[in-house]
Amino acid sequence: MSGPEQTPEDDVTRDDPMIAAEWALGLLEGEELLAARGKAATDPAFAWRKEWWDDWFAPLSDGIAGAEPSDTVWDGISARIAAQQAAAAAAAVSPETPSANVVALEARVRRWQWVAGLTSAAAAVALALFMFAPGRSPTEAPPAQIAAAAPMVATVPIGETGLRLDVTYIPESEKMLVAAIGLTADGVHDHELWLVPKDDSPLQSLGVVAPGEVRSMTLPAAVTAKLGNGAGLVLTREPIGGKPEGKEAGPVVASGYFKPVATEA
Amino acid sequence: MAARPRPSSDEAREALRDAMARLANGDASALEEIYRATRVKLFGICLRILGDQKEAEDALQDVYVNLWQRADRYDPTRASPIAWLAAFARNRAIDRLRTGKVRGGAVPVEEAAPLADETPLADMLLVDAEQAAQIHKCLGALDARTQGHIRAAFFDGQTYAQLAEAADVPLGTMKSWIRRGLQRLRACLEASEAA
Repeated sequence: MSGPEQTPEDDVTRDDPMIAAEWALGLLEGEELLAARGKAATDPAFAWRKEWWDDWFAPLSDGIAGAEPSDTVWDGISARIAAQQAAAAAAAVSPETPSANVVALEARVRRWQWVAGLTSAAAAVALALFMFAPGRSPTEAPPAQIAAAAPMVATVPIGETGLRLDVTYIPESEKMLVAAIGLTADGVHDHELWLVPKDDSPLQSLGVVAPGEVRSMTLPAAVTAKLGNGAGLVLTREPIGGKPEGKEAGPVVASGYFKPVATEA
Repeated sequence: MAARPRPSSDEAREALRDAMARLANGDASALEEIYRATRVKLFGICLRILGDQKEAEDALQDVYVNLWQRADRYDPTRASPIAWLAAFARNRAIDRLRTGKVRGGAVPVEEAAPLADETPLADMLLVDAEQAAQIHKCLGALDARTQGHIRAAFFDGQTYAQLAEAADVPLGTMKSWIRRGLQRLRACLEASEAA
């Protein structure tokens, strides 16, 4: 996709409904597509408009001839669903799903459940404080300090895997904690996390996610300035090392948005 | 949206709507029913966009597995479950086209093993007739050139760059043409909703 194009003929206001129309038609690519997906995750009006266009365009598909897929398609679908049901039910390693088209990530369900427990606000904050101040036991953190930190959390469910990425941001510390426990590297791809600012400014890379680890990172001021309630996150699948310079970002495999940690009653 | 014409109460459509609702409530067996009823239409869409049998079958698998996971995203009060599914399938196919290596949209429809017209599924696959008439009317009100480009984007998954190249005009010109067309299309569709 090109950068912002300025041609004498480009005289149409490209407002949100227009971008939603381009998205619905399938005209958006690369970072514009990423931005639209991120925006839809955080902006109900934009998401509504995309669906509005989808609804209106849908009858056009009556002009497309039907076709019979081969019998193996349903077998593949049932196999993938059975595998995912097994993964969700079992407390063991999920089977190797031939599916995993969304993310080639192995579901370590036990550890995942442990991470899920952490998303309860107090636990997430305790962990964050523990990570940011390794010399101090989390139990020593006074409640007042937790309240003052006013952390933001984002949960990013990952495609079909039942896994999710938990991202915690503590404004005062300018640090962000990315918990990717349960995710496994496939040796071929990395996953890159992007901040989708609420003000429609360009996406900012938050770097490649370290599978199976909880990582703390210090955010540059340019990023923290955009990180607030409702800011979106998208995760893309990239070659090892992250999005190559000058190339389009890979497919979005997950998205979520930041919200403040609920205050303890 | 509220002004959208209601569909006629078609038995097959109601059965599909019911299956979608059951799926959303966690009844995985409803998926097979939905698959049997909709695979021909949705596969046709994937095949048309992707232009490759294998890619289209992979996309079709994604569509139904995703549907199983996200059935709750379908709002049963909406006009037509098949219209929603068609958009869902097309979006998946376009995603695959934009992010994969497939060429897409280049295989003539004739190669796509078309079904006989008398397929018993044909009836239920028609989306709401009034709504269909309206989008055709509003598209038809655009100049032929713009209409053609919008259709090529919809049916063949063509990008702005591909459309510009095919028409031998600068990219900015193509974007401007299509955006002007979309602006008029939106005005026309909104006017029909208000009516």
